[in-house]
Amino acid sequence: MLRWIFKPRTLRASLSYIVLFVFAFTTIFPFLWMVATTFKSRGAIFSLPPTLYPDLLFQEGMWEAYKEVLTKHNFLRYTINSFIVAGAASVGQLITASLAGFAFARMKFRGSSFLFAVLLSTTMIPVEVTIIPEFLLMAKLNWLDTYLPLIVPSFLVGSFGTFMLREFFAAVPDELVEAAVLDGATTFQIYKDIFLPISVPAMTTLFLIAFIHNWNELLRPVLYISTPELRTVTIGLTTFQNEYGAQWNLLLAGAVISVLPLLIIYIAAQRNVVEGIATTGLK
Amino acid sequence: MKHGKLTPYLFVLPTIFGLLVFRLGPTAVAAYASFTRWNVRTPPEFLALGNYVELVNTETFWLVFRNTLLFTVIFVPGVMIISLLMAMMVNQKLRGIAFFRGLYFMPYITAMVAVAMVWRWIFATRFGVLNYALTNFLQVADPPAWLADKTWALPSLAIVAVWKQVGFQMLIFLAGLQSVPGSLYEAASIDGASKRQQFFKITLPLLSPITFFIFVITVIDAFKTFEVTFTMTGGGPNNASTTLAYYIYQNAFTFGRMGYASALAMFLMLIVGVTTFISFRMKDRLVEYAL
Repeated sequence: MLRWIFKPRTLRASLSYIVLFVFAFTTIFPFLWMVATTFKSRGAIFSLPPTLYPDLLFQEGMWEAYKEVLTKHNFLRYTINSFIVAGAASVGQLITASLAGFAFARMKFRGSSFLFAVLLSTTMIPVEVTIIPEFLLMAKLNWLDTYLPLIVPSFLVGSFGTFMLREFFAAVPDELVEAAVLDGATTFQIYKDIFLPISVPAMTTLFLIAFIHNWNELLRPVLYISTPELRTVTIGLTTFQNEYGAQWNLLLAGAVISVLPLLIIYIAAQRNVVEGIATTGLK
Repeated sequence: MKHGKLTPYLFVLPTIFGLLVFRLGPTAVAAYASFTRWNVRTPPEFLALGNYVELVNTETFWLVFRNTLLFTVIFVPGVMIISLLMAMMVNQKLRGIAFFRGLYFMPYITAMVAVAMVWRWIFATRFGVLNYALTNFLQVADPPAWLADKTWALPSLAIVAVWKQVGFQMLIFLAGLQSVPGSLYEAASIDGASKRQQFFKITLPLLSPITFFIFVITVIDAFKTFEVTFTMTGGGPNNASTTLAYYIYQNAFTFGRMGYASALAMFLMLIVGVTTFISFRMKDRLVEYAL
């Protein structure tokens, strides 16, 4: 046994696990603390020394903070709103990015490489530059306090989505296309009946990434949404934080609710999300 | 593939329209607005370089600029070193390694508002768990007030930002590490090279194109930092943690000074552009293409 422990390989592996666990602890601790606090009573929250084990866990009133946040503070509504906004923006991005990606990958046209370069290089422009004129444009269009400013910009331009689908479409073998051309299919039919069906995995990845990005969007909801019923979770949390400064169990219950849907999606589709983000760089 | 002459333009139309209306158009308008006094209610009034002159002569601007640089100086090495370490750790063939990889990436996909909230609670001066641990386990007699402290507010933001960001850079480093051929390490260890030598003579040089890429995107990220400031301190105390992007937001939407904010935004775009330009000019000297 001792011999096994001191074997260089075992020693190395256990050292690695120690480092891995240290990183894991630092990563997960804020999440644990977040969840733990939501199951504490007011007294336990402000107790010194702080307790890790929540006093209300498996006791009566365990879900009080969640009930209050979901009903009284409207987080159920905010969550639904976020689903609507992030869903619509992401579906839109799939449509426009796949159309553009298809043209860039499969058609020769004047200015295509120039357009593509412009599309990618403009992602470098900070939002802070474009947001002021964008805000004034939305005001002119009378779109303030609607979901349109949250959906339309993201609906129309998805640079990395276009980039990713272009790569994917370019790799589709020519034989598939030729057969369809012989059958007399139009360009749009080829896009719709051949390219869209085979790119379901890539599109799923893109949808998830766009969804995460739009769900977490903070600046636009803060600027554009003023009616409380229209708030998404991020602006809901921001205003909640300003109004209920030190009610940590309620605030953090709100935080858990806003993070949970994404975590579920992430855990269910981890490979898609991780690989997609690694290749496209989000946004 | 055969297609009509106009067809490709129809396919890219929505994207081009969006590009013009939401990126190129606004950038041009912002560039123009930066030369005007513009308070939304009244039409813009041409000022020539007025905003830029004011900007250079404003103390707050220099404070904010210094804050942004300080943030960058903590954020960039923090993210790069930790993410490289993480990538090397999860690049090993160990049981359960996929679990760790997935876990490390988690903070990156969560909303800043949500995690900022728990971090504010961790950093809380009197009841926060961090100061409790510092006083009781590390015997620190007088721990700082963190977010409420002039000196510590900005470093605290940088810590949270690093914590949230590293998972992403880790993934890119990991992809780079996996592209280093294993045969190189085998050959090196046959020649008697230690693990340390292998790291400095094989891993780092072969990784340099990726390291360079990560460096550039991380610096740009740091310059543009907004959400962590907005959600955790609102720039306080007394502007001690105001970063450039947040200052732009404040000027435009709190003080209603669209022209001045646009000048600031142009300045931000300029430093992002210059950084990218210099980096790519220096690339050939910094990056080794071995093999």
